[in-house]
Amino acid sequence: MRKKLSGKSLLHLFFLGLPVFAFFFSMFIGSFPVHPRELLDLLASHLFGYSTSYPEVYNTVIFQVRLPRVLLGMMVGASLSISGATFQGIFRNPLVSPYILGLSSGAAFGAALSLAFLPGTSIQFAAFFFSLLAVGLTYFMATTRRSTPVVSLVLAGVIVSAVFDALLALIQIAVNERALQSIVYWIMGSLGTASWSKIYSAFPLFALGCTVMLLLRWRLNVLALGDEEARSVGLNPELYKIVFIIAASLAASSAVAVAGVIGLVGLIVPHMLRMLFGPDHRTLIPLSLTFGASFLVLVDDFARAGMGFEVPVGVITTLVGAPFFAYLLRSVRSGGWE
Amino acid sequence: MKKLAVSLLAIAFCLMLAASSVSAKETITIKDDLGRNVTIGSPSERVVFTMENALKTYYAVGDAKNVAALKDDKWMRKLTEDIFSVVDPEFEKKITVNITGDQLNLESLAKVNPDLIVLWASSPEDPNLLAINDTLKVPTFAIYVTSLKDVYRQVDTMGMISGNKERAAAVKKIMESYVAKTTNVTDKLAESDKPKVFWMWTDVYGTAGVKSGMNDLIEEAGGVNVMTLAEKDAQEMEHPVVTQETLIKLNPDVIYMWYNEKLDPKDILNGDEFKGWKDINAVKNKRVYEIGNPSIFDAFSPRMPLALLHVAKDLHPDKFPGLDLNRTVDQYNVDIWGVHYPSMAKA
Repeated sequence: MRKKLSGKSLLHLFFLGLPVFAFFFSMFIGSFPVHPRELLDLLASHLFGYSTSYPEVYNTVIFQVRLPRVLLGMMVGASLSISGATFQGIFRNPLVSPYILGLSSGAAFGAALSLAFLPGTSIQFAAFFFSLLAVGLTYFMATTRRSTPVVSLVLAGVIVSAVFDALLALIQIAVNERALQSIVYWIMGSLGTASWSKIYSAFPLFALGCTVMLLLRWRLNVLALGDEEARSVGLNPELYKIVFIIAASLAASSAVAVAGVIGLVGLIVPHMLRMLFGPDHRTLIPLSLTFGASFLVLVDDFARAGMGFEVPVGVITTLVGAPFFAYLLRSVRSGGWE
Repeated sequence: MKKLAVSLLAIAFCLMLAASSVSAKETITIKDDLGRNVTIGSPSERVVFTMENALKTYYAVGDAKNVAALKDDKWMRKLTEDIFSVVDPEFEKKITVNITGDQLNLESLAKVNPDLIVLWASSPEDPNLLAINDTLKVPTFAIYVTSLKDVYRQVDTMGMISGNKERAAAVKKIMESYVAKTTNVTDKLAESDKPKVFWMWTDVYGTAGVKSGMNDLIEEAGGVNVMTLAEKDAQEMEHPVVTQETLIKLNPDVIYMWYNEKLDPKDILNGDEFKGWKDINAVKNKRVYEIGNPSIFDAFSPRMPLALLHVAKDLHPDKFPGLDLNRTVDQYNVDIWGVHYPSMAKA
């Protein structure tokens, strides 16, 4: 007898397939008028290698502006969500986001340094370098006698974030108004300057980090039980903590370097999924990837086309995500954390 | 005895009158840019300037010796070269007042012993205004310049502050004559000859709204702000940020960059990051320009006519064939400040 798919399984499949819908929906959204039929024709022409008679500007808008922005949005959303889910698993704390280890503060400082004082340096590179430096410093500070307690990591992250925030404040004080404006806008997080070169530069580390997290995801279930319990089943918790921290940091840093500090995605997407599907990381991690990708790109659709001007997507993720998250929190006991 | 007492009282009264007439200084009450009534000495003799454009205006109309102190601004100082030292021989010896972010250092202000402080403020509740009024009790003059008309008003008010109204009127006439060098040409342009201009601030997609000062500059220079074709909610903002798609849709004929340390016009024309811009008219026709020096071509100071000429010449090069901008800058400097501009060809 064939088993009927349960409601939960259908929902699971829906969330796994959501990126496809989000991709096409987002490709149809934009201030430059292109008819959906023309857009599909253009996409097909590139896939199957035939020519079309549309104006050249259509190609530019679809393939140089819209497509990179949609793909970058999906990549960044996926990175932040999967990293957030991983960090929440390692730290066994529902308040954790991908920025817990000072990553966002380090990135913001690097970007500000580049914008203010290093005109020849790529903002992306500077943000990436300092975000990883911040994570490295946090880990180094928290590790004593070959052990890295979770509480120490969190506290070290707070200290490192505070230091980089203070250094950022110094830069903001010292620069002229125009540079300050650029810095503030970068920190708010935006996909407005998406390009193929940003995707090419961020993709390798995003892919590496996500692959590691996906392949090793069941070990997060073991780590979630605690260090002693993990050792008792033969898992080396210190080793896997480092592996997951590196993987999640690489993915999140690559996202922050190209899009700035987009808040709340890495915190609330895993929680939303946990409330619907429970805390099993074997399900949670792949769903964080797909739902995170869809969530951010759909929110960015509003950020770029909802009004006549560009709104930093980080502002919209907070305004949209927070009330929805609050609703879920009230309707599900303990937020799915058990 | 009674006569002696009356005589002594009369002498004392006369002495008091004499003393008060010596110590009473003439004062005037003027309105600042926020509409506040400010009572100041006429002229004010120890003025602190925390804004470079107001300082430029004061040097044009007032006595340099009344400038007691100015803002410590290393970024702007490297762009102004030594022009201020040429205008004011005592410039390098002037006291500098520290600013942290937007916050004036009250102690460094107190050290100057000013009788007037000129500072930027967009509201009477500005923290610096309130702090100075509460602690130092020194008159404060708020500067809030957002349009080209405000620049002329600033010349008038600096004339009143310095007690040189006639000089202020003369400076305004000179400014108007230089503005006319542009408007005599651009006023005659047909609408179809006016290019659509995208004003690019340093944040690249940030531009000038239709109510901004830069919008006025574009229009006076014979252009049309491309934001007039944008959606209303974006138009009305002072500094709207557009998406790349919107920019392509608006399709400006000219892209005019404000001074940018990280980007040059060639980066817009050829850079990897701007591949998506290649179909914009301005990029196709290589009409991307940049303001060379934001201090020389400061649109919100008496140098406004120079900024206007700079932009107009780029928008309509065929209409200004003989214009040598460097010589014009130098001549303007001589006319307004009485000195040649150090790095420019002498007019």
